[in-house]
Amino acid sequence: MSNNKQRFCGSSEHALDRRSFLCSAAGSIGGVAGVHYLGQDALAEQLKRNDKRVILLWLAGGASQLETWDPKPGRPTGGPFTDIATSVPGVRISELMPKMAQRFGKSTSIVRSLNTKNGSHGGGAQLMMRGRNDEPSVKYPDFGAMLAREVGDPNSQVPDYVAVYTSTEGRGSGKITPAFLGARYAPIKLTEKMGLGNIEMLKDISNSDHLQRAELRAALSNKFTKGRASGVVDSHRQAYDRVRGLMSSNKLFDISGEPQHILNKYGPTQFAKQALIARRLIEAGVPFVRVGRAWWDSHGQNFETHQELVPELDHVMSTLLDDLSERGLLDSTLVITLAEFGRTPKINGSLGRDHFASAWSASLSGCGIKPGVVYGKTDKDGQTVADGQVGAGEIVASIFEAVGIPHDKEYHIGSRPIPLVNPGISPIKDILA
Amino acid sequence: MPVALVLIASTPAFAAELLPADKPIHEVVDHHINAGLKTEKLKPAPQVNDANLARRLTLDLVGRIPAVSEVRTFVSSPESDKRTKLIDGFIGTPEFVDHQAVRFEVFITGGNGNIRKYLTTAFQENRGWDSMTRDILLAKESDPVQKEALAFLKGRLKDTDQLTNDVSVIFFGINVSCTKCHDHPLVDGWTQDHFYGMKSFFNRSFDSGGFVGEKEFGRVEYTTTAGEKRQAPLMFLTGTVVDEPEGHEPSKDEQKKLEAKYKELAKKKEAPPEPKYSRRAKLLEIALKPGEDHFFAKSIVNRVWHQLIGQGLVMPLDQMHSENPPSHPELMDWLARDLVSHNYDLRRLIRGIAMSQAYSRSSQWAAADRPAPETFAVGVVRPLTPWQYSRSLGLAATDPRQFAGEIKPDELLKRITGAANAGNASLFEEPGENFQISADEALLFSNSDRIAGSYLRGGLFGYLKTIEDSSKLIDEASWSILSRAPDAEERKLLVTHLDARKDRRDQALQQLIWAMLSGTEFRFNY
Repeated sequence: MSNNKQRFCGSSEHALDRRSFLCSAAGSIGGVAGVHYLGQDALAEQLKRNDKRVILLWLAGGASQLETWDPKPGRPTGGPFTDIATSVPGVRISELMPKMAQRFGKSTSIVRSLNTKNGSHGGGAQLMMRGRNDEPSVKYPDFGAMLAREVGDPNSQVPDYVAVYTSTEGRGSGKITPAFLGARYAPIKLTEKMGLGNIEMLKDISNSDHLQRAELRAALSNKFTKGRASGVVDSHRQAYDRVRGLMSSNKLFDISGEPQHILNKYGPTQFAKQALIARRLIEAGVPFVRVGRAWWDSHGQNFETHQELVPELDHVMSTLLDDLSERGLLDSTLVITLAEFGRTPKINGSLGRDHFASAWSASLSGCGIKPGVVYGKTDKDGQTVADGQVGAGEIVASIFEAVGIPHDKEYHIGSRPIPLVNPGISPIKDILA
Repeated sequence: MPVALVLIASTPAFAAELLPADKPIHEVVDHHINAGLKTEKLKPAPQVNDANLARRLTLDLVGRIPAVSEVRTFVSSPESDKRTKLIDGFIGTPEFVDHQAVRFEVFITGGNGNIRKYLTTAFQENRGWDSMTRDILLAKESDPVQKEALAFLKGRLKDTDQLTNDVSVIFFGINVSCTKCHDHPLVDGWTQDHFYGMKSFFNRSFDSGGFVGEKEFGRVEYTTTAGEKRQAPLMFLTGTVVDEPEGHEPSKDEQKKLEAKYKELAKKKEAPPEPKYSRRAKLLEIALKPGEDHFFAKSIVNRVWHQLIGQGLVMPLDQMHSENPPSHPELMDWLARDLVSHNYDLRRLIRGIAMSQAYSRSSQWAAADRPAPETFAVGVVRPLTPWQYSRSLGLAATDPRQFAGEIKPDELLKRITGAANAGNASLFEEPGENFQISADEALLFSNSDRIAGSYLRGGLFGYLKTIEDSSKLIDEASWSILSRAPDAEERKLLVTHLDARKDRRDQALQQLIWAMLSGTEFRFNY
């Protein structure tokens, strides 16, 4: 344990001598300033970027594991719904998810043993998105930003990270941050109108003028930057170079051009439309898309809430998986359901379930996942983890491994190596293909 | 062995064989930087031209580009001491005070706690950095000025570990968080005591219903990597342990009673009683004592140097320990000694650095192999802060005739500060470590009505429209926006642009203004 901690702070085990520490600390010119990979194969790694994609279905507010992946029918904590068989013998999930029950053995694994110890919306969201807590001196990027960096194409014209918000999702949720990875990997957020901000040209400028003034700008700027190259100077050019590409990606957010049978399949809800946008985005090369679905925070009337939201999740998730599969994209796209926490087994006086981080579930489907696996176990009432306890770090480590990125890969800031997940954390091997 | 090393770390660092104390700061700076260049056999980049110098100084000292009339006056002036006059003319002005207050607030609070009002007063009165530090760390509700600095502590009291590390980084240039979990991997002799020793100065401070309180009891205990429980000494970063008066650690019952008393006071919105013995005050006492003050003095020298030159004498800024010496140790020692012996006068330090040749080197390096930044052979290109960027955009887009002709200096300054407004500062990101400019910013400039409305259709556009001769128009645009004359290549490029669009000259002109304002040159202090 202490050994791990020492590794973390930059001991000699990294073969990081004083010279290399000083060089890297000072040498922030060129490329992404200050963030380096250790090791000789950095360039090869960069070139070998894969075409893996990740869609996160974020169940904002905290979905109930008992009404989804880990039902306890007939127990005092079980609530009114029963369970049903899945396509994998012996594995049963909530009756509210018949479509996912059919597809379970084809694409999906469940982790039923999350104990994440943080029951507040903001803190829980931050922890689950980063896989660890911040430290006084290090703010960690969320795994979406890290995936955007690891999987994304540096020359991409489309965004690297799109976060699709619902109007309620901001409530108490953790701020998404690229931290030390830099603004390049900050999420581009969809506005209420389901489009990007400042993405459309103003009415008083023609397309050719818009293009030509950008050329004029580039000509003047390139003259200035001659003999003045540095990471931050170059980032200015890169930012403007991406403008037209980002503007053209605006059409990705417009689903009206989709064939009618696809629109019918997804259905009319906002969540379904956003899932369809997510599919369009990853198809166009966006490495990470987070789709938020809000209103899971069912302190009262938990069962009515879940009776409405779980079938929608079941439908949207299964439609998305089918659609990806039909397009041959499921082998390269990982679909995750995750939230800030689950909900209490104990049913409160308002027939609600409260925040519960001690024994809850997440699911992973598609790319790099062994289908039909249930990892971990809760006790008969779902109060505690009975077997295979994992935290946020293990989920994030598994996500990286599923898309082919070693979870122990390190960034390097100044003197300090920062691994993708905290040292000592392992991926959940049982669910990985 | 570790004991000996701790002693090395705590040796007073102002060596005896420094250059004379009465030498002007800028001469000492150039003496040491040039000596380093000689050793490295490096021929530095040339000094910047007058227009570039005026832009750099104006951005650094008052937080905006120069107005057209200011830069033109400076360039055409034959006076040999015009640089000195420009610097002395800026230092101490309300604009200087505002700009320093904004910069120092970012550096001190990093966005956690609004202490702008306090810093404005402090820079106005030219309080020394030692007084400012005392005001911030020992702020009293009863003191009308210090009161405005309380937000620093208040935003950190709930997390003593964070308070400990923030204070160590900001005021002493040392990130102690490494030694929280284990002995420092790079600095021999730095143990967990270095973190928990510093934490002991803050462990009694607490939030009492919105007031900053400090108890008279409480010790810091921690578990070593070997699993042994240890009580932390009240120890400063130099390794010096503070002797405390024989403390009376109250029993559990007594503590409960005291806690209840604090709660009651908090309920009544009353401040808790001040402790007879304050550990926080003790930290200031020891950290500023001769022989112990080198962390404190060097850290602020390094910060100010970094703010003005873009590269610290020690990098990273929070790793000012014995294993990471300054690039120019004697210069660091001299500047720290000078600062201490001049009551930590920041204006003096800023002025001294701004007067040096090292400050005014060109940032352009035409040849291959740009020299390492720690040689200071070439200027560093620095992104503008949101404050500088917004104010500069506002000023550049204003009709330059407002600043021309016979205007009294006071009236001119009023017009300039009116035009250079920080209203759009919140649209931009504060540059930090590994800063990159985001695609969001490029999209904002490219497609937002707010940018178009603020800068493309206003006074400058109205003025340039009246100029028929394209070449003259380009002159005026270049001086207004880029604070310099255009060169032949630019003139040709821009004249071609305008003349090819005679049918829609207004639009062509807006495109030209946009291309200059959104360009890389304008985005940076170079």
